[in-house]
Amino acid sequence: MTFDISRLDLIPDEEADPKEYTLNEFLAIAAAREVKNDDIVFAGTGLPMVGILAAQFLYAPKAVVVYEAGMFDGKAVHIPASVGDQRAAYMASQLGGLTETFGFYLQRGLVTLGFLGGAAIDKYGGINCTVIGDYHSPSRRLPGGGGNPDIGTLAKRTVFIMVQEKRRFVERNSYTTTPGWQVWDIERETWVPKREVYPKQYANNGPSAVISNMAVFRFDDKGEMYLDTTHPGVTIEDVQKECDFELNVGMHKGVTKKPKYKELVLLRKIIDPGRLFIPAKLPKLRDDIEEICGGTC
Amino acid sequence: MRKLSLEDAVASYIQDGTQIMFGGFTGFVREPMAFAWEIVRQGYKNLINPMVNSGFSTWLLHATNAIRVKEDSWVGCGEIFAKLDLNADRCLKTKSMLVEDYAHGQMQMRLLAGALGVPFMPYWGGMGSEIFKYDILGENNLRDGKLFPKKKYAMIEDPFYDQGKVPVVPALQPEVGVIHAQKVGDEGTVRVEGLTGYDKELAFACKTLIVTCEEVVPEISLREQPQMNLVPFSKVDVLVEIPWGAYPTQVPYYYDYDPVAMREADRIQRDEEMMNKWLEEWVYTPKDWKDVMDKIGGYRLSSLTANRFLGYSLKNKRGEVLPPEIYMPLQWRR
Repeated sequence: MTFDISRLDLIPDEEADPKEYTLNEFLAIAAAREVKNDDIVFAGTGLPMVGILAAQFLYAPKAVVVYEAGMFDGKAVHIPASVGDQRAAYMASQLGGLTETFGFYLQRGLVTLGFLGGAAIDKYGGINCTVIGDYHSPSRRLPGGGGNPDIGTLAKRTVFIMVQEKRRFVERNSYTTTPGWQVWDIERETWVPKREVYPKQYANNGPSAVISNMAVFRFDDKGEMYLDTTHPGVTIEDVQKECDFELNVGMHKGVTKKPKYKELVLLRKIIDPGRLFIPAKLPKLRDDIEEICGGTC
Repeated sequence: MRKLSLEDAVASYIQDGTQIMFGGFTGFVREPMAFAWEIVRQGYKNLINPMVNSGFSTWLLHATNAIRVKEDSWVGCGEIFAKLDLNADRCLKTKSMLVEDYAHGQMQMRLLAGALGVPFMPYWGGMGSEIFKYDILGENNLRDGKLFPKKKYAMIEDPFYDQGKVPVVPALQPEVGVIHAQKVGDEGTVRVEGLTGYDKELAFACKTLIVTCEEVVPEISLREQPQMNLVPFSKVDVLVEIPWGAYPTQVPYYYDYDPVAMREADRIQRDEEMMNKWLEEWVYTPKDWKDVMDKIGGYRLSSLTANRFLGYSLKNKRGEVLPPEIYMPLQWRR
């Protein structure tokens, strides 16, 4: 059965109840809200991709997406399974390769927002996605940097989507794949503020937000992480319990906005109807919403 | 240009210890799968394998411990594998394989420098990462200045515009490069449709270029729109025509990726014994690549055949459910 996009207009502009959505949907929508209309976004596979597609549809129609493998402003109608998927190239403005994405778009300064993940993050926004444990004899070897270090250091802003666990929110990573606001100075063999090392065109580029399953964090002038909002039903103490360093809660602004019905229907019916990135088993929406979209949301 | 069979191409150009790099992208697009498969069958070991990013072809080589040293940015497999390559994990745990880490863009710039014929390339991306702190090849005394550069990277002072220190990464010119293309003209002109990844840089950087392709077409058919071609015929050393040669990765406008095969590979890589059984069944037992395709079956392959306009298949069940058809008006986004 086909779904008529115009039915989205019939859905009331209301927030959903936390029982009506899954964590993946919540994170995708939270990520989507970080996108501005004039952004050029470098997005990875999975929730970042769902987030940028939702953002383009709802509140940032002019935002451009760049995928690592070479697509500039693809207009995917079927969600890509990878940043290399031909689906991501549909109606693109240009299609090239890695010299284009890392050189012409990223290093040349076109990219304004990067969406990334990682195994662990530190207080300064540094990411580890290379090893768990000691670098020379790790307990688990992860794939490694990929484009994470490149995007994280060169994109104007970077948003990370992370799992909130004590071992994943640390004072300093055991191995920093992508430096945040502090970088390793190879000559002085110490950590120094990014602004001291990078040339001026990149000096102010770096982590801007971290979205976890419990809260949203941002970074202050010193480049240190602080708690911005907590998700519905989560307390500041809950977050501190799952964070290894002492969290700055002085600027806490309250509760993260919940997804709206329209956003959820968009994810379920238009963006990921094949359930690649959001779960196959989803809680039902409110009766009147289900009725509008044919009772199968 | 020599046109060879898959068996002869591998036997003539690969030996124990060959430095070989594969094209394609992260276990997903146009990986020279048949070629990697044949290397495993012929049993070559101790390969040197620089990669901009690893993927499915290298997953196969890691499964048989065929690689001794890698320089790489991403030792994973496709996203359907949750990105993890557990075969590589096993090789690293037993220290039978060494990996020198780089960032994605750094490897790309190394290859670009190789393609341009310059010794190094400045690149800011990833500066200040601990990638710069560790030198695995140096620790193992492998930096001979020939096969491997004398240093992992260097910092130089910008001599022209006073932008301070800039990292430079060494050029990379692999002995053998293998890419998989859709069409190659009978004189050797290479056409790649869809994204190009790093295949163009690899084609010009490598010393011997082997192109495997879906089909060989009359050269004249590629000369009408030369702007769509990736590599001119003179740079191609060996051509191997091998239909479905990138299966189960995607070849835009020919076939889609096979999520069933990828999920199965992810399942069996979790256990070494299952992995070995799989290798026996899918790599060592089949007579040739055609035999593998027959084993998968015509109907399953036909469900992967690409929609000619979109370049991918609409009949491919990719997620947990087969999505309903989407009504696609010309202006579907508002």
